[in-house]
Amino acid sequence: MTFELSANEEATAVPASGFLAMLRSIWADRLGRIGFILLLLTAVVALLGPLVFPFNPADVGVDSSTILQPPSSAHWLGTDELGRDVFREFLAGARISLFVGIMATLISTIIGAGIGIAAGYFMGPLDTALMSATDFFLVIPALPLMIAMGAIFGQNLLIIILVIGLLSWPRTARIIRSQTLSLRQRQYVSRAKSLGASDARIIRRNVAPHVMQLIVANTILVVAGCILAEATLSFIGLGDPDRISWGSMLHFAFVSGAVGLGAWWYFLPPGLGILVVVLGFTLVGHSFERIANPRLKGH
Amino acid sequence: MPPLLRRFLVLCASIFAILTFNFFLFHIIPGDPIRLIARSQRLSPEQVAKLREAYGLDGSIFTQYWTYLKNLAHGDLGYSFALHENVADVVGRALLNTLILLTVSTTVVVLLGIVIGVFAGSRHGSKSDSATVVTSLVFWSLPTFWVGMLLVFIFGVWFGGLPISGITTPNAEYQNYFQYIADIARHLILPTLTLALVDIAFFVIITRTSLIEVMSEDYMLTARGKGLSRRTMVWKHATRNALLPVVTASVLYISALVAGAIQVEVVFSWPGMGLLTYNSVLARDYPTLEACFLIISVAVLVANFVADLVYRRLDPRVAVA
Amino acid sequence: MSLLDVRDLRVSYGSPDGDVHAVDGVSLSIDAGEFVGLAGESGCGKTTMAMAIPQLLPRNARISSGSVLFDGVDLSGLDEQAMRAYRWKDISVVFQGALNALNPVQSVGSQIAEPIRVHDSSVSSAQADDRMRELLEAVGIPSRRAHDYPHQFSGGMRQRVMIAMALACRPRLVIADEPITALDVMTQAQIIDLLQGLSERYNLAMLLISHDLSVLAQTCDRVAVMYAGKMAETGPSQDVFGESNGQAKARHPYTQRLLRAYPNIHRERVFIDGIPGSPPDLSRPQQGCRFEPRCDVAMGHCASIEPELITLESRHLAACHLLENDRSGVQS
Repeated sequence: MTFELSANEEATAVPASGFLAMLRSIWADRLGRIGFILLLLTAVVALLGPLVFPFNPADVGVDSSTILQPPSSAHWLGTDELGRDVFREFLAGARISLFVGIMATLISTIIGAGIGIAAGYFMGPLDTALMSATDFFLVIPALPLMIAMGAIFGQNLLIIILVIGLLSWPRTARIIRSQTLSLRQRQYVSRAKSLGASDARIIRRNVAPHVMQLIVANTILVVAGCILAEATLSFIGLGDPDRISWGSMLHFAFVSGAVGLGAWWYFLPPGLGILVVVLGFTLVGHSFERIANPRLKGH
Repeated sequence: MPPLLRRFLVLCASIFAILTFNFFLFHIIPGDPIRLIARSQRLSPEQVAKLREAYGLDGSIFTQYWTYLKNLAHGDLGYSFALHENVADVVGRALLNTLILLTVSTTVVVLLGIVIGVFAGSRHGSKSDSATVVTSLVFWSLPTFWVGMLLVFIFGVWFGGLPISGITTPNAEYQNYFQYIADIARHLILPTLTLALVDIAFFVIITRTSLIEVMSEDYMLTARGKGLSRRTMVWKHATRNALLPVVTASVLYISALVAGAIQVEVVFSWPGMGLLTYNSVLARDYPTLEACFLIISVAVLVANFVADLVYRRLDPRVAVA
Repeated sequence: MSLLDVRDLRVSYGSPDGDVHAVDGVSLSIDAGEFVGLAGESGCGKTTMAMAIPQLLPRNARISSGSVLFDGVDLSGLDEQAMRAYRWKDISVVFQGALNALNPVQSVGSQIAEPIRVHDSSVSSAQADDRMRELLEAVGIPSRRAHDYPHQFSGGMRQRVMIAMALACRPRLVIADEPITALDVMTQAQIIDLLQGLSERYNLAMLLISHDLSVLAQTCDRVAVMYAGKMAETGPSQDVFGESNGQAKARHPYTQRLLRAYPNIHRERVFIDGIPGSPPDLSRPQQGCRFEPRCDVAMGHCASIEPELITLESRHLAACHLLENDRSGVQS
């Protein structure tokens, strides 16, 4: 007669010290392994794809018989509404989707970590002020704000990266702040202070490394969100018109009526691409969270 | 100060902050908002002059701000040159349509999500639990608009039978009110399905995690000791406690819900706030875009407040007043 | 026939490092209406022993051998569904730590009344309510507080709620697991008086688990002392904890050491662990007497041969090689 009610979940944490050890633990976790493989796949496609099969945006079809054609031996994924090869377009789009997602995450992480550590370490009125601002940004609905900012500031890659990055930091800031707060209670900080170490030194040597693990876990999950955000913004029409991303492919597929015409070869691959890469980061991120934070039971 | 009153004041302060932020974003940052509008809508000099007056641009920033607040207090959201209507009227209609969509889909998402989450959590460690988690992670990773496109393809091109755009059938004539409602309901199916497929995952995962933690609490052993059936233990005792963190987490969901609704409205041409936002971006209709952003943000703040009220109602440990 | 007859029970927990034999061959019997105490250090297996009776062990625990006879029926062989019929109706539990043992989002009244109707569908909700209020009054809580929530009560009052709840279905055996540990001394006395009074009034059999010997000495008819998963000594409480001519009547070296840590167990004092060394690792039980490493009167063969329970006087047994010669002819 087995009944698990009264037992607390056993923490299955593997103490992860060092980069290789972390990779190993992610590989050991089944979901983490799948995610890692998906990411590897995406990296290969994004890095090698356009090298082997370069895409020329000006290579449009000669006449109307070449647009929105189903897959053939000449065009493995058919053609788009301008008669271009969808397969090569898909490979080219991978790079921008990933690039924007990762760059935006970088910005968001730097801001979020900075604010989180400052608020958690110095506490007091600075903490209250920073957290009020953070809560405010947490509450503002992200997509409408991104749309508004995109419409006002214009549509180039840098702006999009900044906009997405600026709206993703609150979650990072909150997590890092709570970790910093709990670390601050630890003895070695007060010991170091009594020896006269300056505040900045304490942060750098004692607080930051432990917070790093959590930053990484959170960052991985933020990348997934940023890639989705870029895809959505591009779909809405706010993407950089000079670059192809999976989101913008879907935008053109939609506005050109490819969906209604049943041109599945045009809108299925980019969407699947987004799914694969977002799922990859999500699985790895959750797996890492479980490893880095053994208190998370039943995750 | 009673906590409820304090929470309400925070709401008012947040709304005020959003109003100010909105003003800053649409009136100050672009430099000259009039030029922005004039350029995109090709206005005549007389229209431009009238706009200047309406915006109070002859005065300082503070005058403009004051004019802005005054207009808002009167319900004046500006005029859309692209649509040739008062923005307030346009937004009013769109808001109603969005509310219809959101009410139906949120109900489905929340109820189904919680039920599935409780099922998965109470079978923690089983195959169906793992399968549920993986499926949820996969669906949560899908772009909502893409799911919409897929459904349009499946039901519009392959199978047919379900309306793939709009809120009602064009040029339809109804014998009675019931037929009108039925028509709207049919048009709601695909958009709701799209939102549900992606968003249910959020509630499944949160509910499941919460339930697993609750099941290991001491009072669950008491419930088992009392000889209660497993069903009673899970659905009556565990779930009520597990719902508390879910309500808290739903505050995070609101942002995702809004994003999803915008995408769904665009794909299915549902004439709500999302589609309005999209069209106003295409047409560079800044007054409408500004109003959309403002209304959506305020609605989200109010929704957060309501979620907070719900939490207070559910948890007897938190004071109401 | 005894109401409860636990025979040679063995309970072990599975763990990555090997099975932990928390209860290793323990027997205990309780008659109807009897107040029995179960004592020992933390980790000695007393909670496991107690929870094994209503089959409320965690998932990774199992009864490897032995029987738990309640009214002649072996509960260890019943499945969860069959067991539910016994729970609360025949055997109820007052759990440790009432703060977490009560559902925080349910009113105390409804928590008390709930099992009444679950176990007897002929009872109307009005009747269940009446009974619930009766119970609240019986434990000294005004019945108008039935609609309040657990967090609105003090620790002592929550414990009273737990007790009222345990009595809801008029059980025949109540297991109280460290019911007063988390309370202050004054409240402890009140709760103990309450338990005693209720036991007499409703003719309940009670198994009171505590590491506080003074409480057990005060209230119990019989006591059992466990050490490292085994029964060390058991008998009428005036024999195990009592004194004659200024000398403790306890016979097992462990019990004697426990008592020596109390200057006077009839004055209420919290027990301080004054025995050097620590309890053994139950995943690797040693041969011979488990107390031997810490025993100051151990003999040569104590480390290799396990002592059996020896009957000393009527119903007074102890497991120690030193007592071989005191074996009485009287069957317990």
